[in-house]
Amino acid sequence: MLDAAASALGGFLDPQMILMLISGVLAGLVMGIIPGLGGTGAVAILLPFVFVLEPQQALALIIGATAVIHTSDTITAVLIGVPGSASATVTTLDGHAMAKQGQAARALSIAFISSMVGGLVGAIGLTLAIPLARPLVLMFGSPELFMLTVLGISLAALLSRGNVAKGLLAGAFGLLIGQIGAAPAAAEYRFTFGSLFLTEGLDLVAVALGTFGIAEIIALIARKTSVASKTGIGGGWGRGFRDVLTHWGQVLRGALVGVWAGVLPGIGATAGSWIAYGQAIATSKDKRRFGKGDPRGIAAPEGANTSIAAGDLIPTLLFGIPGSAAAALLLGALLVFGIEPGPRLITQDLDLVYTIIWSFALAAVLGAALCFLLAAPLARLSFIRFPVLAGGLVVIMFVAAFQASQEFGVMQVMLLLGVFGWLMKMCDYPRAPFLIGFVLSIPLERYYFLTESLYEPTEWLTRPGVVVMIAILLAPLLFKLVKALLRARRQRNAAPASVGAGATSEGTSPGAAGSGTDTDDQGERSNDATTGGDGAAAEPVISEPGPTFTGTYWPMSLAGVFLVVFGGAWVMSQGFGEDARLVPQLVAGIGVLLTLIVGVQEYRRWREERGRDSEWRTEVKWTAHALGWLCLFLAITWVIGAVLAAAVFVPLFLWRVASMRPVPIAIYTSVVVAALVLLQVLADISMPMGWFTPAFLA
Amino acid sequence: MTRLFRRRGTALAVLTTAALLGAACATPNPHGTMADAHEGDPLPSRVRVLIPYAEGGGTDVWGRFIGNHLGGHIETGTRFVPENVPGGESIIGSNRYARSAGNDGSEVLVSSGTTYFQYLLGRPEVEFDFGEMRPLVINGSGGVIYGSVEGGVTSVDDLFTPSTPLQYGGISITGLDLSAVLAFEVLGLDVTSTFGFEGRGPARLAIERGELNVDYQTTSGFLTQVQPLIDEGRAVPLMSLGQLDDAGEVVRDPNVPDLPTVPEVYEEHYGEPPSGPGWDAYKTFLAAGFSYQKGLWVREDTPDSVVQPVFDAVRELQRDEAFLEQGREVLGGYPIYPGDEVEESVRDALRLDDSVREYVLDLLAENYGTVIAGS
Repeated sequence: MLDAAASALGGFLDPQMILMLISGVLAGLVMGIIPGLGGTGAVAILLPFVFVLEPQQALALIIGATAVIHTSDTITAVLIGVPGSASATVTTLDGHAMAKQGQAARALSIAFISSMVGGLVGAIGLTLAIPLARPLVLMFGSPELFMLTVLGISLAALLSRGNVAKGLLAGAFGLLIGQIGAAPAAAEYRFTFGSLFLTEGLDLVAVALGTFGIAEIIALIARKTSVASKTGIGGGWGRGFRDVLTHWGQVLRGALVGVWAGVLPGIGATAGSWIAYGQAIATSKDKRRFGKGDPRGIAAPEGANTSIAAGDLIPTLLFGIPGSAAAALLLGALLVFGIEPGPRLITQDLDLVYTIIWSFALAAVLGAALCFLLAAPLARLSFIRFPVLAGGLVVIMFVAAFQASQEFGVMQVMLLLGVFGWLMKMCDYPRAPFLIGFVLSIPLERYYFLTESLYEPTEWLTRPGVVVMIAILLAPLLFKLVKALLRARRQRNAAPASVGAGATSEGTSPGAAGSGTDTDDQGERSNDATTGGDGAAAEPVISEPGPTFTGTYWPMSLAGVFLVVFGGAWVMSQGFGEDARLVPQLVAGIGVLLTLIVGVQEYRRWREERGRDSEWRTEVKWTAHALGWLCLFLAITWVIGAVLAAAVFVPLFLWRVASMRPVPIAIYTSVVVAALVLLQVLADISMPMGWFTPAFLA
Repeated sequence: MTRLFRRRGTALAVLTTAALLGAACATPNPHGTMADAHEGDPLPSRVRVLIPYAEGGGTDVWGRFIGNHLGGHIETGTRFVPENVPGGESIIGSNRYARSAGNDGSEVLVSSGTTYFQYLLGRPEVEFDFGEMRPLVINGSGGVIYGSVEGGVTSVDDLFTPSTPLQYGGISITGLDLSAVLAFEVLGLDVTSTFGFEGRGPARLAIERGELNVDYQTTSGFLTQVQPLIDEGRAVPLMSLGQLDDAGEVVRDPNVPDLPTVPEVYEEHYGEPPSGPGWDAYKTFLAAGFSYQKGLWVREDTPDSVVQPVFDAVRELQRDEAFLEQGREVLGGYPIYPGDEVEESVRDALRLDDSVREYVLDLLAENYGTVIAGS
């Protein structure tokens, strides 16, 4: 085994290998930066090379790219709150919050160093795990995978910033949206409304970019300010480096969670990153700064997402089961070289396996180092007026979302989800549970049905893995219950003195409504991450600062919309076959109940805060204005296709919204259009066509 | 300012409504005249290969691999440029081909078993018709049914008189699993099928964990993934799905020549060869799902002068040792055929009698609670 490891290492002395690896790293970095392209984009770009290169070189190229996508996808997540890929949504919480405080460089350096560590831990983990991997993977049967999805979904409660009912409602909504498409246990389509592209289910990229990216963009465009509302004092990369040193335990834990999430087939990078984030919250004493720019909230998931890609190599190489688009590409490449992954790969081609692992480690270090050097210059982007960035961003995001099924409808769905995400944000719903519910919806159903039909209840409920996970699930509840009882007793003793402290668990403070920037939020934010205030209420406070609609009719209306959606889904699911009905019916039923609870809460809150001076009208106007611009882009695309639409939309937008001068507008527009054409010609990225797209652009 | 907002608001509202109404519309098709080629026209220098499956998957790799090598054997230096349009069990991409492709050979469609199955089952969404296309290249595949020793399956006899209930795991009854299910039907086996696995790989893991005890894998998957289990004495090969020969008979699979085929097992047990609608259905879906699994297709009215260079290139590839060696895994160990040599048998195989389709749809509805909408 050591021989093989050493001989594989020797292979890297070949300069061509290094060259290929660097090319892969660069391609992966670029694809990671472009919001929404991520793994799929890298696959599209690199696939043609697989057929012309030598096996070892092609592998170095692919691995180089896969290892760094989740390093660079952080950049836009931190700087503009638009995730580079779906699994980077988690970094939009703390990373973007930090950028808003003018500390983008600090956030980026934490992310990059954590990614690098994650990659190294992943590679070391792989090296050690290979002999053990097979029994480990086999230990996880359908019941264990089912419990793991339940555990993941239970994160919804942990991530619901104080208001558990709203968090669970968001989670249920995610579960419901995830049910669109083919049912796993029956040959039946659900909630497709006769549309063929919905049979595949909603694409993760469109959902993540919509609810997090578009929602962020429409709130920022009309405001015409930059992302960062403070100047970047004391937020440099050195600070980030020290943060990582302080929280090295979080980085390491995140990386280990990542390897594990990657090794298990069927969990996925997005759920894995969120699980890493969840464990960071669960294991931290002071949880209140999470979501407001806590370095731990960046370190843990960033440590995880690169190591997930490493862990993913285990099922890919040992069982031929790819866990991501990039792993599928690797599998395809191996097939082209006449190498069938499987148990024999370890015995016959061990040096190849180690080539892959070493490439991964090297690429992770290289990619993170490159990004690290760029962190400070990139951070300046957060000080540019947002509309200037938005012009090109809008075009790229819609083109990226289009890649999934190449249907026009995907872009409309993304826009709709963007509006929904914005409403959720304004009405103080956490969006993280929504995304987790969405990614785990089908796995939950799949493994439930497999468990149910392959095991007796007494059989699977007593499996050790399942018992452990049930314990993990119940322990915090019991713990909380005991703590709540104790606290209630203490409070009864010490009368009304500490009533005020409890109110912080509501997340964003109502006073910030409509004020444009998050001034109120900054009030309670001290510069030092570790000052914990009085530390009495240990509730996690995950807030996305910004104006809320508290005190208006909006929250109640949104609850009404939820009621209609869940109610409608419940009615529709009655028409499904037996095996396709259970989960949607259950989710819709729970959703209706939660909506009623939330509705009552909203009504009470409205009664309390009604009539308070709120600038919600301005906020809605701003957003409608921004939304109109996005619709305009889609409308033009519908008519003449994306490339020409960009040529029309970008200058118009930059002129009217960003108030730029003609020369910069011309340069900007040509760069965007040239980038689109380059992507189309060189990278096989397909552009949305319109009714009148000229033939040479098709 | 308020007035401005109001006017803008109205315009934006109209726009928003218009754009959202568009949701009901289909993806726009660019206005291009469909190419209309005539006899004597050459093969275009750039051929778009429409792959209705995702990047990196088996069919995608096959399409790219074949395209790359065909290009090298065509004198005019034609380039085959792949384009993936995945989704909807390959119906989305195949429909798009049926709608927009001309007959000048500038666009070809890659097919796989799943594509044929949707067509054969008569899914209402299907707009393409293999009866109106001609194959350019055909490459087969095969399947092997095996059992888990720990699960109580040690020989073919255990299938007929199982000591523990037979558990099969599949992805979807309307996918390639249908072939295995039809094999169990033909043999009259009492197998409980559970659907919902993510792929054949996870189903194989379930066998190793003891969750299932009967499974099938493609022959290449069988040889690389299952053979090690057999060597350890944990799995036992039972039968191959067989190959359909030119005469439409099921014969032994050349990649696993020692294994009996499904009809052989039937005859051994029942003393007569299989017959009836179940058997006819098995043969049709075997052909579509395995024997002629992968192919490149063009419109039926594509002129001979356009397709001839491709047929010739395939014949050259058949003799190209380097290609065959390199393509061992991608081609699954099965030969590739030029379309003109197999056109008749492929078309015959893809024709399903109404009575047989009726039988399959009834089987799906009654035993698997699956009703194909619109049928």
